[in-house]
Amino acid sequence: MKKYEAVIILNPNLSSEVDTFKKDFEKLLNSNSFNIAKYEDVGRRQLAYSINNHNKGHYLLFNIEGDSERLIEIENKIKYNESIIRHLFISVKEHFGEDSQLLMDSKNRKTETEEIENNKVEKKSEVIEPINKAEDKETNTKEELVEQKESTEAKLEEDKNE
Amino acid sequence: MSKYELPKKFDYKNVNILKQFITETGKIIPARVTGVSASNQRKLTRYIKIARFLALIPYTDMHN
Repeated sequence: MKKYEAVIILNPNLSSEVDTFKKDFEKLLNSNSFNIAKYEDVGRRQLAYSINNHNKGHYLLFNIEGDSERLIEIENKIKYNESIIRHLFISVKEHFGEDSQLLMDSKNRKTETEEIENNKVEKKSEVIEPINKAEDKETNTKEELVEQKESTEAKLEEDKNE
Repeated sequence: MSKYELPKKFDYKNVNILKQFITETGKIIPARVTGVSASNQRKLTRYIKIARFLALIPYTDMHN
């Protein structure tokens, strides 16, 4: 028994089918008597260079444990899967139970984007306001929002001109 | 403190750490410049090469 880390980069257009792929991959691993110690769905990420004309990839990390001979069989099956842009199996001495830096980075980015999206929602319908905010602040924020709207509109116009 | 800092544990997933040790053009910076120990430099080169393969960091600045 050896410990491995598997990194799989999926086609970003198939991001919605990650769960089905994960199930299939788990079946494949289990049928080859592999244990899955940890699974991480890092999500879509910008690639440092384009692979097969893809600029983004959906990263999946697996910590797995099993026999090296069986791993070759798994790799042979994965090789011809067209939804996988790139894959890598690395043998490691130990599995770290903690979340990887990649996952943490993507989580941080998600929270940032969510905040931006929340702001957008507030702009569109001013109903969804956090309850904590005092009423005095609400008026201020509304004024600010109007300003922000104007600025975004100006940006849009600039984009159109370009 | 020097510009280059290396934690005790790191691997190919710590992209921000690896990025310190490559130039703008993507080359690995020699240990004589960074002052990294020989064993850590061997790890670094290994992990940088893995990270390049996984498109986490670029091979070069000439990618289209």
